[in-house]
Order: sequence, then C-alpha cells, then structure tokens
Amino acid sequence: MAEKKRKERAGGGESRTNKKFKKHSNSKGLTKKSKDKSNMRRKRTGPRLPSALRTELDRLNARISSNSDDEINSDVEKDVYEYEEEVPQEESRKNRRFDPVENYEYELPEDFEDENVSSDDDDDDNDDDFDVGGNEGNLIEDLDDSDGVEEEDDGRHLRMLQGITGMSNDAFEGKKKKNNVVISEAHPESEYNPTRDVLEGDGHITVQDLLEPIQGKPGYSKLRKRVQYMDRKSTSIQAPLPKADREKLERMAVYEHSKKDITKWEHLVKRNREAPTIFFGEDVDLGFSTVGAIASEFEPRTEFEKKIASLVYDDKVIEAHKADGSKLLELNKISAEDYMKHRNHIAKMRSLLFHHEMKRKRVKKIKSKTYHRLKNKDKLKAASAEMLMDPEAAKEQARKQEFKRAEERMTLKHKNKSKWARRILERGLNAQDEGTRAAMAEQLHHHALLTRKINTVKDSSSSSSDSSSDEDDEGSDQDRASELLEKAKEKTLKVLEDDEEVPNSGVLSLPFMVRGMKKRKEEAIEEAKLALQEYEQLEGTVGAVNLKPATASGRRVFGMANNEASESNNKIKTDNKKMKMDNYYGNSDSEDDLEAKENLNITGGRKNDVEKDAGPNCVHKEAADVRQDSVFKNFDDIVRDPGPKTTYEVAIFTSDSWRKMKSENGVDANVKKSQEIKEPIVQNQDLKEGEEESDSDSEEQMVDGILSTGPKDSYELPSQSELIRHAFAGDDVEEEFEKDKQEILNDENPEPDKPVLLPGWGQWTHIQQKKGLPSWMLKEHDDAKRKREETLKKRKDAHLKHVIISEKLDKKAEKLQTKTLPYPFTSKERFEQSVRMPIGSEFNPETAIRALNRPDVVKKPGVIIKPIKFEEVHQHEKPEDHKRSGQKRKPNRSKGAVGKMKKQ
Amino acid sequence: MLILVPSISAASLRAASSQAFPKRRLKRERTTDLSFQKTAAAAPCDRQASLTFLPFLFISMGSKEENGDGEMDQTVKKYLRGEAANLEGLQDKKLKGQLAIREELYGKSAKAAAKIEKWLLPSEGGYLEAEGIEKTWRIKQESIAREVDILSLRNQYDIVLPELGPYTIDFTPNGRYMAAAGRKGHLAVVDMKTLSLIKEIQVRETVRDVVYLHNELFFAAAQKKYPYIYNRDGTELHCLKEHGAVSRLQFLKNHFLLASINKFGQLHYQDVTMGEMVGNYRTGSGRTDAMQVNPFNGVVALGHSSGTVTMWKPTSAAPLVKMLCHPGPVSSLAFHPNGHLMATSGKEKKIKIWDLRKFEVIQTLSGHAKTLNFSQKGLLAAGTGSFVQILGDFSGSQNYSRYMSHSISKGYQVGKVLFRPYEDVLGIGHSMGWSSILIPGSGEPNFDSWVANPFETSKQRREKEVHSLLDKLPPETIMLDPTKVGTVRPARKKEKKPTKEEREAEMEAAVEAAKDTDIKKKTKGRNKPSKRAQRRKEIIDRAKRPFLEHWVEEQETFRKKQKTNMETEMPKSLQRFVRQKAT
Repeated sequence: MAEKKRKERAGGGESRTNKKFKKHSNSKGLTKKSKDKSNMRRKRTGPRLPSALRTELDRLNARISSNSDDEINSDVEKDVYEYEEEVPQEESRKNRRFDPVENYEYELPEDFEDENVSSDDDDDDNDDDFDVGGNEGNLIEDLDDSDGVEEEDDGRHLRMLQGITGMSNDAFEGKKKKNNVVISEAHPESEYNPTRDVLEGDGHITVQDLLEPIQGKPGYSKLRKRVQYMDRKSTSIQAPLPKADREKLERMAVYEHSKKDITKWEHLVKRNREAPTIFFGEDVDLGFSTVGAIASEFEPRTEFEKKIASLVYDDKVIEAHKADGSKLLELNKISAEDYMKHRNHIAKMRSLLFHHEMKRKRVKKIKSKTYHRLKNKDKLKAASAEMLMDPEAAKEQARKQEFKRAEERMTLKHKNKSKWARRILERGLNAQDEGTRAAMAEQLHHHALLTRKINTVKDSSSSSSDSSSDEDDEGSDQDRASELLEKAKEKTLKVLEDDEEVPNSGVLSLPFMVRGMKKRKEEAIEEAKLALQEYEQLEGTVGAVNLKPATASGRRVFGMANNEASESNNKIKTDNKKMKMDNYYGNSDSEDDLEAKENLNITGGRKNDVEKDAGPNCVHKEAADVRQDSVFKNFDDIVRDPGPKTTYEVAIFTSDSWRKMKSENGVDANVKKSQEIKEPIVQNQDLKEGEEESDSDSEEQMVDGILSTGPKDSYELPSQSELIRHAFAGDDVEEEFEKDKQEILNDENPEPDKPVLLPGWGQWTHIQQKKGLPSWMLKEHDDAKRKREETLKKRKDAHLKHVIISEKLDKKAEKLQTKTLPYPFTSKERFEQSVRMPIGSEFNPETAIRALNRPDVVKKPGVIIKPIKFEEVHQHEKPEDHKRSGQKRKPNRSKGAVGKMKKQ
Repeated sequence: MLILVPSISAASLRAASSQAFPKRRLKRERTTDLSFQKTAAAAPCDRQASLTFLPFLFISMGSKEENGDGEMDQTVKKYLRGEAANLEGLQDKKLKGQLAIREELYGKSAKAAAKIEKWLLPSEGGYLEAEGIEKTWRIKQESIAREVDILSLRNQYDIVLPELGPYTIDFTPNGRYMAAAGRKGHLAVVDMKTLSLIKEIQVRETVRDVVYLHNELFFAAAQKKYPYIYNRDGTELHCLKEHGAVSRLQFLKNHFLLASINKFGQLHYQDVTMGEMVGNYRTGSGRTDAMQVNPFNGVVALGHSSGTVTMWKPTSAAPLVKMLCHPGPVSSLAFHPNGHLMATSGKEKKIKIWDLRKFEVIQTLSGHAKTLNFSQKGLLAAGTGSFVQILGDFSGSQNYSRYMSHSISKGYQVGKVLFRPYEDVLGIGHSMGWSSILIPGSGEPNFDSWVANPFETSKQRREKEVHSLLDKLPPETIMLDPTKVGTVRPARKKEKKPTKEEREAEMEAAVEAAKDTDIKKKTKGRNKPSKRAQRRKEIIDRAKRPFLEHWVEEQETFRKKQKTNMETEMPKSLQRFVRQKAT
C-alpha cells in the first residue's frame, strides 16, 4: 500500500500538468476507490492472522518496499499516468492513532453516500493551505478528488451562507480553517521529530505542490515560467551539514583569510617589540603654545565683536593712541612707592583693627571684680572730667549723685540700725544661719567703706575734689604699713649684723657661755630670718592694692639699686610691687617666697656693698650669682665671705685647671714612657715627638732655620743594643703574626671539640678504657676536622702566609647585593656582565647617555596616541632605523611591553 | 709672620749656575696653560669626559681617524670595562635581544668616549728625557727652571717659617688650595694659583695633621687634644671631642667621612654631613702615624709598629685585611690612584710595592722613607731626612725605578711629601716651612669637571657641593672590591640546625603562648566547660603541630638514611635480607 502511495506521489508532477484530465476522471476515481476498499474488506473477512503477527508482517512489507524503491521509480517513469486510489490512513498505519478495533466499526460508512465522504475530503482540502509540511497524504487526496464536485458544493454552501448572513466569503473559510486542524501525529512535527516520510527519503515537497494553490492569482504565470526554467536546468542539492560542522568550516575559512591579513602586520609588531624604545607622537605639531599666540589668531565673528573690532582697529583711534595713548597710560600708572605706601597703610589699619578687636574680646571676658571696680572708677573719673568741661552734664551728674545719696540714707542699708538688723542682733549673730550672717557682714563692710571715705576726705588736705580716689588712699595707707615693716626689718637686720660682735672678756667669754650664746644666736637668726620673710610677705599683701606702674623690670631696678648702694625703701617697694603684680595675675604663693628670698638677697648685696666697697660691677655679678642660691646660703656667704667671691672662684678654677692640665701631661708622659718600655723597638722620631708632646707649649727654640733638636736626634747613631733589637725584631713580629692568623682562623672557623665521654662513664671496668672512645665519636670528630681543613683551604688567604683576609660577613653590605638572580637571567655571569657598565652621566659621553637611559615609551603629554598604521617593513631590517617613524602601536600594548622591559 | 718666597732659594740657584749644562731635550707640558684654552673636560683614570662635543671638531678630524685605529681599539676596550656577555647559548630570545641592544649602546658609548679621549683631551703628561749618559735623576730643579715658562716657575719655591715647627700640608682635590699646619699651632690656607695667603691662624697648641674636607671651605686639624674643623676664614666650627688626641686624619670624599686614628690606636669614622659617629674601632696595635685612604674603594689602611698593615672599613670591627709587610715598624704607606698598588716603607730601610689584587709584593726597593705619596700619574715620591726621591714606572710593567731626586737645602727635615693634583708639582712640608718643586709628568694633564675642577668658580663649587651631597655614598659601600655592589650575593653557608633542646623550648614557648590566648565566648550550649576544654586542647594541638610535623619529617629522613646505610654497610651475604622497599 505504501508503494502505491509513493508511486502516486512521484507522479504528482504529471498529475498537475494535466489537471483538466484529472478533473474529468474524478468520478471514475471515486468509483475505483470504493471498489478497492471493498476488496480490502473482503480480505479482512477471511481467516485472519492474529493482530500481532499481522503488524509484524506489515512491517516486513514496508521494509521490502523501501528496498525496492528504485524499481518502483523506474515503473513510475514508464507510464504516463496512473491513478491509484490512496489507501486510507487507517490502513496505511502511519500512526497508531487508529486502532484496529475501531477500524472495524468504521467499515460501515464506506458504503455511504458521497456527500459524507466529500465533506471529509473537503476538510482535507482546507488543510493543505497552511499545513504544507504536514500530512502529505491528505494533500494528495485534495489534488485528486476535492477540486471537482465538492468544490462546487462548497461554493454553493458558501454562497448560501453569504446570502443568509451577508458576510464575505473569506470569513467563513477562515473559520473553517481554524476548526479543521487535523493532528495526524502524536508529536508535533519538527526538525527533531520528522515524519516517517521525511525519514524514509522520498517525501519531498516540490515547487509545483506549492504553486498549485496560487493558480490563477496575479503573477502566477510569471512564477510558473520561472519554475519551469529552473526545472529544466535542475541540479540536485545536497542536504546542508549540521550547524556545528558548518560553523567550524566557516571559522576555518575565516581564520585562513584573516591569517593572511594579520601576517602582514607581523614584521611591524616584531619590530616594535624588539625596539628598546617606542616613540609616540614624535612628529605632531602642537601648534600654539601660549595664550597670546592663540589670542592673536582671533577673528571677530558676531555683530558685536565686529563692531568692537571696528572701533578698536579704527585708524583714528590707533593714531590717537599712538599719539598720546602711551601718555595716558603713564598717567594711569601708579608708582611702585605709592602703591607700597598704600598697601602698607591698609595693612597697618587692618592689623590695628584686628588687635583692637582681640583686645576687646579679651577684656570682655575678664570676670575679676576688682578689675570691674577699677574700670567703673575710671569711668567715673572720665565722667568727672567731662563734668568739668560741660556744666550741663555736671548738673545732671550732681543730681544723680544726690539722688543716690538720698536713697542710701533712706534705706540705711549700711547701718545695723534697721529693724531687721536690730532684731537679729538681739537674737545673737551666732544663732543665725549663714546667709543672714553674710548679709550682716556685708552691711558692716559697706558701712566701713562709706565711713572711710568720709575720713579720707577729711584727712586729705591737698584737695577737696573727687579725684582723690580711694586707691591713692590705700596707697598712702600701704605706705604707712610698709614704712612700719621697713623699720621692723631694718631692726632685725641690725640684730643680725650685731650678732657678730662678741665680747672678748668677762663671763660671756667663757667657752660654754660662748657656745650657749652661739646657739641662742643661731636661734635668733633663725627667728629673725623668719620674721624678715614674714615682713616681706606682709609687705607684699599690703601693697596688693597698689597700682603704681612699675616701669622698670625687677632685675634692672635691682641692679641699679646695687650700684647706688643707697638705703632704699622705694626700691624695695617697687620690687615688691612688681612681685605683687605677679601675684595679682594668678601666680601661686610659692612665688611669694621666691620673691622674698630675692629681696633678702638684695639686702645682702647691699650690705656687701656697704661693707666692702667693692666695685659695683663685681658686686652686681656676685649678687646675680647669689640670687640663685638659697637664702641661707646667701646669709652664710654674707657672714663668712668678705671679698668678692667671683674672682676668687675663677682663680681657683684656673689654678685647678692648670694643675689638671699639668697632671694630665704628666700622665701622658708616663703613658708614653711605659709604652716605649713595652715596645721592643725604640724609635728616635717617636721619642722626639713624645717630648714635643709632653711640653709642647714651651721650649724648643729654633735657631735660624735649623731645628735645634730634630736633626740632631735623627743623626744620632743607634746604640749596639738597639741595632741588635732591630736585627732580631723580625722574628718576633713574624711569629706574632702567625699566632694572630691562627687565632683569627680559629675564630672564623672554630676547631671541633675533642670527643669526651661523661667523667666516670665506663671507668669501673677496664674494658672500655682499653677500647677507648666509641668509634662514631671519633668519626664525627674526624669529619668535622676534615671539613674545617677544607674550608680553610678554600679561603682567599690560604696560600698567602703574610696576609689575613677576613671572611666575616658584613650584614650591612649584604643589602647592596641581590639575593636572587633577577628574572629573565639564568646565569650569574651574564647578569653581572650586563650590569658592568655604569649608565650615569658622569661615566658616559653626552651622546650616549640619552640612548642608555631612554625610557621604554616616549610620548608627549597631551598628544593623542593614534592606533597603529600599516606600513611596509622589510623583514630583516634593524629596528633602530625605524625608531622615529611616528606612531606604531596601540597604547595598551605598548604598556605591556613596558612592563616586560622593566623586568629585565 | 709668613714670608712667601716665590722663587728658588739662593743656595740652589748658586748650585745651578756652577753646573755645566749638557744639551738636553726637555719635554714638559704645563697643564694649567693648556687647560685655560680648552673647553672640554678630561677624564682621569675611570671617568669619562662629559661635555658635549663640538661638531666641527669631528668634521675636521674625521680624516685623521684611520691611522690611530689600533690605539682607538685599545681605548674603546678600556671604556667597555670588561667583556660583553656571551649570548650564544642564551635560550631566552627576548633577553637575548635586549642584551644585544644594550651591548650595542655600551659599544657606542665606549667608542664616543674613546673619540673624546683622542680628540678632546690632547694634553699629554710631560716627562724628562735623558740623552746619552745623562740621567734624569741628576737633573736639578734649577735646570728645569731654566726651561719652563714663567707660570710654572712660580711653582718652584721655598717658604721658610722658622718658628712654628715642622709643617704638614694638604691640597684640595682640585689642587687649587693648600692647607699647611705647623706643629706648634700655625694653620694657613693658601691659594696656590695666585700664591696668596687666604687666612692664617694660630691655635697655640700642637697640630699634628691637617686635612681638607670636601672643598676648600672646610678643613680639619688634628690638634693637641681633639681634632677641630675650621672654615676658610679660620673660624672654629666644630670640636670633635670623641676622636681624642688624633695623630692622623683622612677624609673620604665620596662618603663624607672623616677618619682619624688617635694615639690610643682607635680608629674613628665620623660622617661630616650629619655629624654622626659611624664607626669607632680599636685597632689593638698601638699608636701609628701611617694612615692612608685607598682612593679606589675608600678602605683605610693603617701601618703599625708590628710591621703589619691593616685595612678597615667603617662597618666592621675587625680589619678586612691584615698583612705583614715589614719585619720592623711601618713608617708610611701610600696608594696608587687606581687602587691596585700600595707602597709601604719600613724602618728596616725597605720600600715595598704591593699588588692589592693578589696581596703580593711586586717590588722591594731599598731605602728609607718617612713619607710616601703617589702622584695622579703614578709617580712615587719618598721623603726621608732632607732628601726627596721620585720613583717612576715608565715601562708600564710596574717596575719602579729612580726618576728624580731633590735634596732640600740646609738639611731641613722632610715631614710630608704630597703631589699637587692636576699640576706637575710636589709639595714638601718640612721642618722649616714648605717647599714646592717641579716634577714633570706627575699630574693629570686633563681634568674632568665632574671629578675636580682646578678652575672652579664659587658658583660651580656650590653646585658641586650639592651634587656631591646628593651622590654621597653610604658607609657600607666601602668594601675591598666595590665592583661587587649590585651583583648576586654569594650563597651563604648553611645555618646550623637547632638542637633538640632548642626546638623543644621553642615548642614549649609556642604552647604557652597558645594557652594564654583568650577563648572567645560562644553562644549558650557551645560554651559548656567541656566544650571550652576541648577548644583549648585544639588550640594547643594546633600550636604544636608544625613542630611535630617537622619532627616526623626528620624522623623519616633519618630512617631512610639508616636504611641506606644498613644496605651499604651490611656484608654482601646479608644484604639480601634487608627488607625491600614496598613498590
């Protein structure tokens, strides 16, 4: 059955050529078909094989048929046309869709009316339009029988539908198409799941098959002609290769092609690779280098620019400018001096402003009450000054003051006569709490202040004005206090001085009395000192309010005072003031003490002055020295040390040093002598030198050009013993050297330890003693010895008897050598030879330095590096000749090359 | 105080006039005259001229080049500084290419240098040539004076300073300035070109030595107790108390080190730039007066009374080389500028010349020398008593023979002889001042401004000071063979394996450290005591592991060794019973 089908397909082309005939014979075909089917039915009715067997047989048949394909083909070629009814699908067993069992049930409709059959076919007909690759069998069927009557029926039916619905023909057709998709296979057909026909070979679709449906459409004839033309010259086309193979082949071809293309670059690349330096952008003209040059190229383009240009380049303007433009410019000019002046002025003003600002800031931050009080007073003073100038303001001020005073009187805040105060006083102050007590104290204080004000006003006879501020009063107060203190101090000092006078006769001169006196004196002195200190402190505190500006620094004043050597309250006071000021600005109490000491020193110095009448400078110096010492020491000095100390000290120092120097010299000489004694060989020259050294600063006269000592010494004949020593000196020296060398060798290559056993080991029997040391020990020892010998032989000085060359490693120098061979090198010699030449500018002529030190890539900053360009290069040309011929390589490539070059 | 007498002393003049003068050719070249005219700098020994060539020179001299080809090859070879690497067996193509390019550049450089030497350094050293039976060493200074120009004549003089004792002298590296120090405290700085005294000071104590630092602005004087550094104006800048009473001073100009040997035989190195004391070593050989720096490598050599010469560098406490040169004390020593030759003189009246590459004596001359000095061209001056002898090596075979001699009038005792660089002049410090005589062929005729410029301006000097400071070498670069710098370090001897106890101790320490580590607090359930204990144990195990592994390895190697030993040591008949290795 399959054969038939194939035959039919092969003749497909023919059937199409004579279509008309086919149409006519349609009815005949139909009858034949029915007959055929009836035959089959007949066969089936006979005794049947089991179904399994049958299928097997079928399969065999199919195989045979495929084998005998050629024969059939030839058959086909013979006859012109032979129509054969196609076997129904069920029969051909294309698919397993049709069960044999079902087939039986289907037998009945075979005998049915044409209409049913035709409708079936009709479906198929519709199929073939879009299901081209699908069921070929169906397609053939169409061609065979559907075209005739069925089509007519179809048309009629369509027309009817059209009439009823009034819709176009196509709509119905499309609908039908959609509905009638026949799935003939279990799996969708595809490249991977081809139909049996495709697999077996002969299921080609021809162009004619495809042309058939579009018959009658415009352009059909044209197409057909072309197809016919092609048919005439048709050649068989091979099936395409698998994609992977195809691509591989393609790649190969491309490779061959591109290889040809690429190899032409090879020389270029090789040349670049071998070149020691690659130049980029050698011949690029960078153009203008300055702004001026660029600006000179400017051309006016816009309206505005043109206008300006016309103005600027106007002849008149230019001329005018030429005429007096320069003068104008000159007028414009500011002289450098003026400018400097102006600038300096501005700078000054600015700095002044800044300083003022800083000052304000600082002042604003001050929290001290005293300061503010003083400030307020200043303000008042200023106001009073103003009052003097301006009567109006004075009146106003007076009024204010009056008001204030009245207020004060009314409140009586400053007296403890108020009701509240009286009550508190009645109850007793002790019973009150802190706050109240403080308030009372404040009141009292206030009162005291006010009353004192009145007193001073009373006392001051100089003026009745307000200007006599309480500051001054305080000053006077303090003056008094300081006067008192001064007196006290003087007295104590006197006592201290007086102590020195000791009665020479009487009971008091008795030793124990003297001792007791001394003791007492010391105590008294001690006390006096303490008292003095106290006075000083007191003075300090008293003067605390004193604000007289101390213009001179403390030391200065102190020195001057010394010079004057006058008794000086004021001086001390100024000193104190200074000290006090220090205290005032938050120094610690310890400073007080220091200052006190200083003051004491002053007195001491003064006394010295008075007593000794030494030169003022001297004393000044001494005092300066003394000042750094402690008070007690100072006192001691005063007591004990009559003369100016400094000179004495210097004298001591110098004399000491003299002595020292001398002694040193002596020692030197001794050392020298001992050395000489030790040394077997005495050198004349050395001796002379030694002498010179020992007393270098004196003697050795030179008499008219001839050294008195030198030549004489050298001409002296050596004594017999000396000669002998000279003669035998050599032996000694050589021996010593030998020893030295041996020592150094041992030091650098230590001798192996002698093999020893533990003491007592194996000694209780005599066997082991006889045997001696174990053999392995001896062997080890021998090995070590041999090794040492070898290393000694390898030494550089092995053959040089008179030379010791140290083999010690210098770790610091080691870092100047490479630990390992640098990368591309494989042999040490080659590396060392390659670095033998210095490449610095000091060692090479100018012409060679550049080439020796040229970097691997030379490029200009700001120049674009263009991609490599092809150029003809001869294969055996040297790279250097082309070095300077512009761009050659891509930048990233060249970078790689740089890296490689660096490694070497 | 100081009387400059720029003329030959009266006595020698008289001698000259009385002498009959045979006809002779006197070849002499005054370096200074020539160098005024030429613009190019010259290269002594190692360095090459560095100024750019003038193109016209090449044009005009191109034709001359052919005849001196052999000579050129020689100089090119000299400037190549050794053999090129053999690239034959080199596998690495890239390296081969690179090295080839490098070699080519080297070759070009050497060729250019050779050309410069040929065409731009035309000054040749002068020399004395005797005719017939006359000998060069019989030629007196007076007869030389008759032949030379006025400028050279100015270099023949005696300066008599009777009061302040034997003088020692030192020149700046460019030979322009001289510092003279009288033993009794007279220091003077003299400009040798104008022969004018720049400054003199009296320090009023013994001065044993004087040495210039890197330029003429500073010099150091070894005084009675300490060395001092003064500037040109005689202002004391530093007192180097750490050095003690120094007997000899030397300055290493490439390293900026001031080296001194004091009377206790202590060698001090002080960096004069930072003031840092670089080295302080006891030589252990007593006091010495013989001290010299090898200009080639910066190694300081000391001659000792035991007849040994020791060589020192600032980074090692032991001498690099100790060689027994004389049976008696070494009185002085000197180095050839190329650093390969050393001359020593002993008290046993021998002068020896040593090859320092082999540490062998090349030549032994008889004669006493209190002071020795090599000139730039390799002449050796030896002074003793009032007699100065100059030895020369004109055959090129390092065979020194008498070249010139000079005896100082009135028996002044020579204290120091020193050749003036870039001049044919020998300075002699003696007991009555100093003298200067002409020695033809002693100085380098072509100077290199990179090295030293005798006509240096103050601006150049300033520049050079900065440059030399930038190029200052660290003290560790001083070594016997400085060409070893930059090469591959020789393989070190294997270090001793740590003993078992040491290893155990190390392990113990590691374990202790592990025990002390704080254990992180884990979440509940993982922080149980048992877990913590486990974790601790783990930590300790981890600390131990590397040691144990090492131990296991060792055991294995030991076992293997034993096995092989067993195999080899067993008698042949028993060897088959040795357990075979499981393969």
